[in-house]
Amino acid sequence: MSDYETIDETIQDKIQNLVVFMCNECGQGSANTAGVARMGYDPAIRIIRVQCTGQIGPIQIMDALNNGADAVACVGCCLGACHFFNGNILSMHRIKLMKKLFKELGYSDQFVNQYTSRAAEGETAVGDFEDIVDRLSTAIKEEGTIKDGC
Amino acid sequence: MDVKVFQFNGCNKCFNESLLLKLDSEYNVEFISEPKKWKEEKIETAVITGYVLPTDKELLSKIRSKANKVIAYGSCTVSGGVFALANQHGHEITPLKGLIDDIIEIEGCLGEVDELKSVINGEELMKPKKLCDLCIRRATCEYLDKVHRQIELENEETCFNDLGFLCNGFVSRECKERCIDYNTPCRGCKQLVERPGIRMLGMFGTLMGNIEVATEHSVKGATDKLGDEDDDVTRSLPDILGNFFRFTFTTSGLPKGRIPSSGTLLEDLFTGRLIEELPLITGLLGGDKSISLTLKIIESYEKANQIEVSEQTMKYREDLIKLEEKLYEAIEKEDAKQYKEITEKIRQIAGNMNLSNVFFGGFKSKINEEDNFEEYKTQIFEVVEGTYKNGSVEYSIDSEGIIKEIKIREG
Repeated sequence: MSDYETIDETIQDKIQNLVVFMCNECGQGSANTAGVARMGYDPAIRIIRVQCTGQIGPIQIMDALNNGADAVACVGCCLGACHFFNGNILSMHRIKLMKKLFKELGYSDQFVNQYTSRAAEGETAVGDFEDIVDRLSTAIKEEGTIKDGC
Repeated sequence: MDVKVFQFNGCNKCFNESLLLKLDSEYNVEFISEPKKWKEEKIETAVITGYVLPTDKELLSKIRSKANKVIAYGSCTVSGGVFALANQHGHEITPLKGLIDDIIEIEGCLGEVDELKSVINGEELMKPKKLCDLCIRRATCEYLDKVHRQIELENEETCFNDLGFLCNGFVSRECKERCIDYNTPCRGCKQLVERPGIRMLGMFGTLMGNIEVATEHSVKGATDKLGDEDDDVTRSLPDILGNFFRFTFTTSGLPKGRIPSSGTLLEDLFTGRLIEELPLITGLLGGDKSISLTLKIIESYEKANQIEVSEQTMKYREDLIKLEEKLYEAIEKEDAKQYKEITEKIRQIAGNMNLSNVFFGGFKSKINEEDNFEEYKTQIFEVVEGTYKNGSVEYSIDSEGIIKEIKIREG
């Protein structure tokens, strides 16, 4: 039984839409591998395929949050293995600034995150999904959702 | 043409600027500094200045129903302006369009009186030009190795952003105040695109590509993930909200802040900002005492940290204080001609009405052609932790240069 099934129900209610931008290479690749292996993950996860996480910036993240996402994550290639050049690192810089911004406003910094995964290993993607849900539920328990402030 | 100018809360810089409408005889202007005392008669054109709160809604709706045309004049009315940074501490400054419908917006800190005139006359505003098109500095678009909070004034050819010195000009349009002409990066009071702060954050974050970002091992995913601890990226920009969302916090789509309030709205607005930004914020706040407030803050810091100030600097500062007194008199008398003369003199020394040229230890650009600029050129100063006091102002900063507490009595 994986962790997400043991989460407090009231918190589970608050986690309905988790937007995950996955890159077309490692990110989407590992999700495919997970699918082929029939691994389960939280039904709140909504995958959006992008060419590279380097395409994702504060604008896309804020669009997702303003339109009902409870949290946003990016899943890209491993460090140094971006199939383009360094899109995953650039995206990390921007997401780090978003995290800092949320902290400055008095919110948890766990509403945005960036992960990496390996295309050949489906469990890396599923593990990332579990980590998103875990971190978000801890954040909601301690500091409330981001929607409380909107 | 009947024009009524209403001053709501906060800074009255734009309210004062609208005095210039009187220079044109075609307008019959009336200034209402206390909107609550307004007699609720019919109005041809209503101009709203100053920031508005949800509590003003009733009065604003009355103005809306009595007026043919309602104009939001200045950044404070359009988007909350610099005052909206206090929303970080839970205040509820709202853009005017959030309270009443059908308004015409004129952005800018300070709002441009020429634009106001053409809007009153019912003309269309000129198509905006990009600030970058007019800037003499040129971009190199290379990744930054370091972000600078202050820079040497030597290089006048490279784009501020490429020097590692954040400039919002990238997402802003042309304005009259032109902070960039006084070695001050653009603060972004006139937006060129929707949600400029968020776009600028994306652009600058990308530019920071060479700066090391912390990663950590994700146990569940068995791969690397973005780390949570502080790293060079977060340390480079201690105040993202103040730097990127100075004028557009309320319209950016960000949630309202919930940092506990530590005093009045004015004090909350300063808490969390950076020491090198202080003179500019006090300059932006305008009002009748902006010059003396700015100089008080600067002088208290210089005195405590033994920053040398040349005689020439002192002379120019004294001139500014004198001009401020005269400006106050002109406003009291509603003398538009005198107001114009004095503001032109202030602009000569301080660069613009936002006092872009005034800084710690001197001035940022040459004031007079015959002057020896070296005499009063500002230098990079060290950030020293401590509490600084001068007359009615008292503030304390931490080792990063972030304002922790500030007390401003009166004005």
